[in-house]
Amino acid sequence: MTGTAAHDPHDPSGRRIVVPGGARLAFTFDEARVEACEGETIAAALLAAGRQVLRTTERRDEPRGLFCNMGVCFECLVEVDGHANLRACQTVVRAGMRVRTQRGFGYRDAAAELGE
Amino acid sequence: MIRRKVVIVGAGPAGMSAALVLAQAGVRPTVLDENPRVGGQIFRQPPPGSPAAAAAPKDASARHGAELLRRFEAARARIELLNEAHVWGVFPERRLAIGNQGGWQVVQPEHLVLATGAYEYTPPFPGWTLPGVMTPGGAQSLVKTWNVRPGKSVVVAGTGPFLLVVARQLHAAGVEVEAVVELARRSEFLRHAPRLLSAPGLLFEGGSYLRELKAAGIPVLWGHVVFAAGGAEGRLQHVSLAPCDAEGTPDRARARTLETDTLAIGYGFVPRVELAQLAGCELVFQDELGGWIPRTDENGEASVSGVWVAGDGGGVSGSVVAELEGELAGLSIAGRLGLLDAATLAREKEQRLARLAPLRRFRAALDAVYRVRPGLARLAEPDTLVCRCEELAASEVDPAIGFGGHDFRTLKVMTRLGMGPCQARMCWPAMMRRIADRTQKSCADVGPSRFRPPVRPTTVGDLVQLIPFEDQADAPAGAGR
Repeated sequence: MTGTAAHDPHDPSGRRIVVPGGARLAFTFDEARVEACEGETIAAALLAAGRQVLRTTERRDEPRGLFCNMGVCFECLVEVDGHANLRACQTVVRAGMRVRTQRGFGYRDAAAELGE
Repeated sequence: MIRRKVVIVGAGPAGMSAALVLAQAGVRPTVLDENPRVGGQIFRQPPPGSPAAAAAPKDASARHGAELLRRFEAARARIELLNEAHVWGVFPERRLAIGNQGGWQVVQPEHLVLATGAYEYTPPFPGWTLPGVMTPGGAQSLVKTWNVRPGKSVVVAGTGPFLLVVARQLHAAGVEVEAVVELARRSEFLRHAPRLLSAPGLLFEGGSYLRELKAAGIPVLWGHVVFAAGGAEGRLQHVSLAPCDAEGTPDRARARTLETDTLAIGYGFVPRVELAQLAGCELVFQDELGGWIPRTDENGEASVSGVWVAGDGGGVSGSVVAELEGELAGLSIAGRLGLLDAATLAREKEQRLARLAPLRRFRAALDAVYRVRPGLARLAEPDTLVCRCEELAASEVDPAIGFGGHDFRTLKVMTRLGMGPCQARMCWPAMMRRIADRTQKSCADVGPSRFRPPVRPTTVGDLVQLIPFEDQADAPAGAGR
């Protein structure tokens, strides 16, 4: 595998093809700090961080990850800053964003986060 | 309400080409696209400053895309572009409802060009919902646009020349490509060889991809199908595949298992027809073009006057055809608006039609080889989810088919199939084929799904803004129409 540096905080899983030199930022996923590159989607940043499971389903409580990666399938839904149902593949990361694994329809966790 | 001469939905190759032709002819077209940057799926642009943005185009198609993007950028002053604009509904008289753009709730063009593209077709099979299973295009975009490998290794499976493109790119990105699993049999190429020679350049490109894969030691398993994926702790670990017959039915006695953390699987593409359907355009079933498509004349005008369709959204034919169709629609609209004289219009149109003819012959031959086969409709086992959103297993939907749920509306009411956020985009193309297979009906008889606005995620705020202020106090029934 060329061009990777396993110790790089932006590439803990060794999945980045080129270790980027551009602007970087940090956000959290389920309270854990994740390093990302500016302009990338939540899905890309989480995959680079080795996090594949983005939500669990309402009925079967099964894990789901990225599937179509173009906004069509709605499998990659996550909670962002207390709002449920955001597509990780269509949402660009911002510094300080609080992203959480969406459980089922997500509203209960989201309500708790908003302190309601 | 905002009025415009021409609105183009989608800024992929078809939409960009239509816009360029119109700008050239002297009308300022409006282009709406849901992405932050133009290019569509095939020429998707990475964020500025990222490693992928710095990389040089790697093949002829990418170089061509870079040139199209450059021409579009050069004409930007003559094109009105709205990025991150989601068209969530089409209402009578070509009124488009738009989300995520302050001040642009409704726009009504004289001419509407739908250049909405296509998405990948993956029929259900056991294990297809495991994280690590994704579409080939999804995996491609991870490496091409986002600089991230989908996994350490990958099995690329399904049907179509696109699989070779994706396998090659994943290999170049440092992913271990275990195999390409192709439904079509190699012998089928010979039967269609004469028509495949209508586009020797494209044929040569496909051949060079095969040679590259061979040189890299990546096996291409022709006449094989992936029939199951398995794993533990929420991730893919292995896929099961077997040789199949001409129907696509796997011979499980000869099955084998490949260990991998990623499966990129897709059987061609499905045209995105939701906006055409909402606009009232007649849809026809054309299996080789991806299923239900709007009926159009040779210029791309649909059954509703003033609504035009170009590119894969009008039938999957690839980016070269999409560009020509975009130009054809743009020219025809310019002619309709009186911006081109009859002789110029006829000459320009003739040029495009002459270039389209051999490409369409080539495409028809490819479609005959890389076709969706009935065996795929039988891969789902009783416990396999056939509707990912509503989490419906085949064992919950098949009885409803037995009780007469043979069309979208009936089956939806009986089971909730297609009622989730994807609006049946993922489940219906496969369920339509499963119904056809189980009832001996044709897909044309089973029918398309029925889209309802909003066809994109829309906030209550966007809906409320559509209601005139004075009506809001006493018209809850009218909210959101």
